[in-house]
Amino acid sequence: MSQLAPVICDNGTGYSKVGFAGNSDPSFVFPTAIATRGSGHQSSRAPTIPSKPGHLASKRGVEDLDFFIGDEALANAKTPGYSVHYPIRHGMIDNWDHMERYWEQTIFKYLRAEPEDHYFLLTEPPLNPPENREQTAEIFFESFNIKGLYIAVQAVLALAASWTSNRVTDRTLTGTVIDSGDGVTHVIPCAEGYVIGSAIKHIPIAGRDITQFVLNLLRERGETAGVPPEDQMRIASKVKENYSYVCQDIVKEFRKYDAEPYKHFERYEGEHSVTGRKYGIDVGYERFLAPEIFFNPEIYSSDFLTPLPDIVDDVIQQSPIDVRRGLYKNIVLSGGSTMFQHFGNRLKRDLKQLVDRRLSNSVAASGSAMQSSGVEVDVISHKRQRYAVWFGGSLLASLPEFYTSCHTKAQYDEIGPSICRRYQIFGSAT
Amino acid sequence: MILLESHNVIIQTTLGEKIAKPSSLDVSFVDYDGVRFHLSTPERKTLLLLSMHTRCWDQLVQYGALDVLKREYGSLLKPSSEPEYNVSLEIDLEQIPSGAEERDAFILSIALFKRNALAAPFELAFNTQKQLEASGSGQGELMEIHYRDEEAIYVQASADRVTAIFSTVFADETDRIYGKVFLQEFVDARRQPAIQNAPQVLYSNRDPPLEIRHLALRNSEDIGYVTFVLFPRHFSNPSVQHATISHIQLFRDYLHYHIKCSKAYMHSRMRHRVAEFQKVLNRAKQEVATGEKKTVTGRTMVSR
Repeated sequence: MSQLAPVICDNGTGYSKVGFAGNSDPSFVFPTAIATRGSGHQSSRAPTIPSKPGHLASKRGVEDLDFFIGDEALANAKTPGYSVHYPIRHGMIDNWDHMERYWEQTIFKYLRAEPEDHYFLLTEPPLNPPENREQTAEIFFESFNIKGLYIAVQAVLALAASWTSNRVTDRTLTGTVIDSGDGVTHVIPCAEGYVIGSAIKHIPIAGRDITQFVLNLLRERGETAGVPPEDQMRIASKVKENYSYVCQDIVKEFRKYDAEPYKHFERYEGEHSVTGRKYGIDVGYERFLAPEIFFNPEIYSSDFLTPLPDIVDDVIQQSPIDVRRGLYKNIVLSGGSTMFQHFGNRLKRDLKQLVDRRLSNSVAASGSAMQSSGVEVDVISHKRQRYAVWFGGSLLASLPEFYTSCHTKAQYDEIGPSICRRYQIFGSAT
Repeated sequence: MILLESHNVIIQTTLGEKIAKPSSLDVSFVDYDGVRFHLSTPERKTLLLLSMHTRCWDQLVQYGALDVLKREYGSLLKPSSEPEYNVSLEIDLEQIPSGAEERDAFILSIALFKRNALAAPFELAFNTQKQLEASGSGQGELMEIHYRDEEAIYVQASADRVTAIFSTVFADETDRIYGKVFLQEFVDARRQPAIQNAPQVLYSNRDPPLEIRHLALRNSEDIGYVTFVLFPRHFSNPSVQHATISHIQLFRDYLHYHIKCSKAYMHSRMRHRVAEFQKVLNRAKQEVATGEKKTVTGRTMVSR
């Protein structure tokens, strides 16, 4: 019997991406949410009643099976008796009970796979404590009896996903990953498959902030007058996804729009979800202003003011000197908020300017005695950016080395959960 | 979720999306019991090809799976299947029913592809039982469906009943114990008055039931046999028959799913208990000596 495809499971803070290796897209993308029955929110409101010994044991029903995950969880959020929980916080698993049941239903209801027959590839955020990895391994090997497990760092998978771009010639795992999802943006340097933990930086600007900014702009211009309040956020995010792009020069772009508004302004048509009443809004400057908050954060926020290119440059400068060239040469984008048109080009241009300025300064400081050969800066955009981490996992898990890099059930039984503290890096050509 | 659903969610969602917005596609995925699916658009965006590979296809064909699939899918069934797969359906997105309800029913019927293929031996057994009942005696052929590497379903029709026997292997020691408890519970649960009408269930560990004792079976501690005795009332009318087949063929997966659920439940109780103990530990403080201690003669003890 031929080997069944490994299962790739990327559980993020907001969304989980799950599917089978070898495919180009995850089979399911749903919120990492679980709606359980019982005293979910009660515990936070009032001090819980101390449980009597044997209190849990006296439960003979099937309460532990009565829960929903993903979209169904959110749909049941208002059903009396259910409360929604998000088992992952800031990329790390917070509630293991919920997570175990979340996985249970992911595997059995959605994937319809028998865990005994499959290898699993899971992802973890950078700087995940090894204890979490052990806990995960315990759940997967002891509850689900899976065949083998590989836990990969998300940033490394994003690097692997960039191998599909035709601009990538050598399959290297050295590079800087810019991962921008819904909640937060990370800049993560990787050297040969290992994350340089001390140099990681976070930016508190991501997808949700862009949507809010678009909404602010629309409101200021008075476009939202005809739009029902409950739809406004959704429409702002539609505008962001469908019309926004990164411009090379704001001033020129403003002039262009003012000279020929009819050519550049777009019209968004919507329909009220309940009454069916039609409405439309004009989409203007927010088309190029929305992603601009990465490059000029002062237009949106007053407490975070460092532009993205400066952060990336800082991160690389804080990394060991011998990998910096590799980090500048291979800057990889991942996550939905990096999908704007020309995002990569703009980042590359700004970063190149920073690097060149520093080089020319150091040349001048040395009295023009030494000439630098220059530093290559390249930002890789590719088609699979949105689910880059999942896709990277799918790519790596379809390599034959995957099976030898996994820890198998037999190895786990022999050594115990500590075996999952370390994983072999594989797949790179160098 | 107590019962597993019999339709494949990936087929259902993908098909729904593609009907709304056709685009090129090439995905492979699995279903229970090592069934592999491949959904692709080899020629054009609106022509979907769904192929299935199952381990026991030859046995299923022998028991009439092709007829069942022809009845369910008619012209969708391709005469020759995709290489490496056993059977293929061709779905033209331009020719599907237009009404919302009919469309959903159509999508659901495609998502039940595996269920329908595996239903063949059961349907055959039910029909055989009817014939035998008319003639009064006799036994039907013992049908073996080796749907997994070491596990099989045996179905046999008699004059008054249909017997379905599942052999199941527990790879893990813990699983075996959970499985044993669970299956015995299954046997006992039937005594409750509310579910008197359920099929009779027998469970035996290691020793195969009489019906299949003549087969050369591997004899070991980790094999269990579950026998279901289906009486005519379980398949008398088509809708009951449909439900019976859907439930019974997922029995093994149901069992293993619940073993895993029980383990998860146990784990959450263990975590709960550990958290409680930890609270006790945190409350515990080292005792501080209070007051002066004196000897009998009245001298004080001084700690240096």
